[in-house]
Amino acid sequence: MPLDTSTYNLALLRIDGRRWNELRQLRGQIRTQAAADGSSYLEMGNTKIMCVVTGPSEEGKRRNQGASSASAAGSGSSTSASATNAADILVSVVVGGFSTVDRKKRARSDKRIQELQATLAKSLAAVLHTHLFPRSTISLSLHILSQDGSLLACMINAATLALVDAGVPMTDYLVACSAGSTSSHSAADERADPLIDLNNQEEQELPFLTVGTLGASDKVVVLVCESRVQVSRLEGMMVAAADGCVNIRAYLDSVVREKGHRMVAEGAVEKGASMAMDIDV
Amino acid sequence: MPITILQPALVPVHSTRDESYGSESDSDGGVDLEGDISMRPAKRARRTGDDSIVTPGEQRQEPATAHTQRRTPPAIISSVAGTLSKTNKLLSVRPLRARYTPEIGDLVVGRIVEVQAKRWRVDVGASLLAQLPLSAINLPGGIQRRRTETDELQIRTFFSEGDLLVAEVQQLYSDGGAVLHTRSLRFGKLRNGVFMAVSGTGGGGGVVRAKRQTFVLDVGRAAGGGGAAADDAEKIDVVLGVNGYIWVSKHVEGEGAAAEGTGPGITRIEESVGLNVYSSQNDAIPPGTMREIARVRGVINALVEHGLRVDEEMVITGYHEAVEMARADGDGEETLYLGGERGKRLADTLVGR
Repeated sequence: MPLDTSTYNLALLRIDGRRWNELRQLRGQIRTQAAADGSSYLEMGNTKIMCVVTGPSEEGKRRNQGASSASAAGSGSSTSASATNAADILVSVVVGGFSTVDRKKRARSDKRIQELQATLAKSLAAVLHTHLFPRSTISLSLHILSQDGSLLACMINAATLALVDAGVPMTDYLVACSAGSTSSHSAADERADPLIDLNNQEEQELPFLTVGTLGASDKVVVLVCESRVQVSRLEGMMVAAADGCVNIRAYLDSVVREKGHRMVAEGAVEKGASMAMDIDV
Repeated sequence: MPITILQPALVPVHSTRDESYGSESDSDGGVDLEGDISMRPAKRARRTGDDSIVTPGEQRQEPATAHTQRRTPPAIISSVAGTLSKTNKLLSVRPLRARYTPEIGDLVVGRIVEVQAKRWRVDVGASLLAQLPLSAINLPGGIQRRRTETDELQIRTFFSEGDLLVAEVQQLYSDGGAVLHTRSLRFGKLRNGVFMAVSGTGGGGGVVRAKRQTFVLDVGRAAGGGGAAADDAEKIDVVLGVNGYIWVSKHVEGEGAAAEGTGPGITRIEESVGLNVYSSQNDAIPPGTMREIARVRGVINALVEHGLRVDEEMVITGYHEAVEMARADGDGEETLYLGGERGKRLADTLVGR
């Protein structure tokens, strides 16, 4: 089916009825797996991802085998240096065969998946306080149950939620959002609007990028763009995506808080010190 | 292609419960616990209520204060999600869930994962494996014996891979790694029982630090005429490792972790050290004891599932409650099932709901 993006100009509504700056429905849960150190489930529209965190833990002898081709280890620049001073981050992504409309058999060594793993591992290494866990490994396993665009963004958000659940210290939430531009590469420039949180149809038609920011700030941690975009539109897209990130962070935060409140109410966690902010320094 | 205009999905409304958790309402009674900081009434509005939590990236203190040297001292920013705790001027966040962090003196249950020349590496559920040096265990044939090369050669006869043990944290390295010791009759190899892992101290629910981590559960009286007459068979040892690893086993007099307090004489010690401390062979366990061990395990599982703390009091009352429930339900005393509805009922009874 040819996608008719020209309808956008008529009503300024996207195919699924959103405006340019509206996110799809977000739905998240943490602590979905009792046995895991941390776990989460996140839906961004019809993209649904489950994430499980194990660690930080030291794996004894098996360590070198675990870090084989399926996982991407990365801590900033060099992997070998991180092995002694900071925790390694291993990411493995499993794409469910049922996650798309057409059932495809993907090899474990799929280059796209490997790149997703590497991107995720490197960006998380920049945000997590891995230096607190020397010689240990934090391994994340992401299961893609359903994909409908913004895959990388959703993976990053799900991973963040699971890591918060696992209690791994981090600078701030790492949140990501994708953004596209309404008209394609060759079309007229002045009528292009940025769109955020693209679905699969829009991703196939439009140039898009994924921006990951550090919490609500506009510090960019991840920026992935695989399509050709006119440079004049880039800024608008990035700003729109960063704006989406702020909303997503607020949602993820509310998920964590809700769970935390419930746990405190149930008595699983001790109550916090009633915190007066008048500490004199 | 026809245009279909769907109602735009609402951008999710984020709970602003934090602010609504009355900034003023929490000062209406009780003792002012943070009186050690400033005794004057809090003039500035309090940010958070008692049951509020902080999340990563949340700023806990404004950077601007006039009478410090730096113009903008660094802000205090939380890096994990959890509840705040304050010790004088030290702010810290107790995470909602985290892996176990060893502390000196903790009683832990662990599993050997690696055997090296002079030491074992033990999984205690922390971020690093703990070490158990050969010099930190009781060797058979007298406590004060020298460690010889023969002992090093037969290190696997004491503990080999997969063995479970109960030990105490003796020392900590700067990176958080722990060194264990088993130089007491309370510690050593575990057998005759069942292992379970729940979340440990520092994670929501699970085992909490208590006065006693090990205790003997008298099941003979509770289960009433289980059949076996010997009083050994009527008791169960429970070891609640601070790290969240739990061992439930048949009680053996004068041996095992719960033998604390009622220690046998010196001669007995040497005897038992010499005999079967490092045996991996289970004793014969009567079916009644096995059943009660399974019941205790069910109780602990139910406690964890409903987010209750696991300590001596909860396990003992939970156990007796479970026996009562099994009796009252008419399914017979031997019903061990404590999941689903029954587990919920058990948890409700325990917290008095």
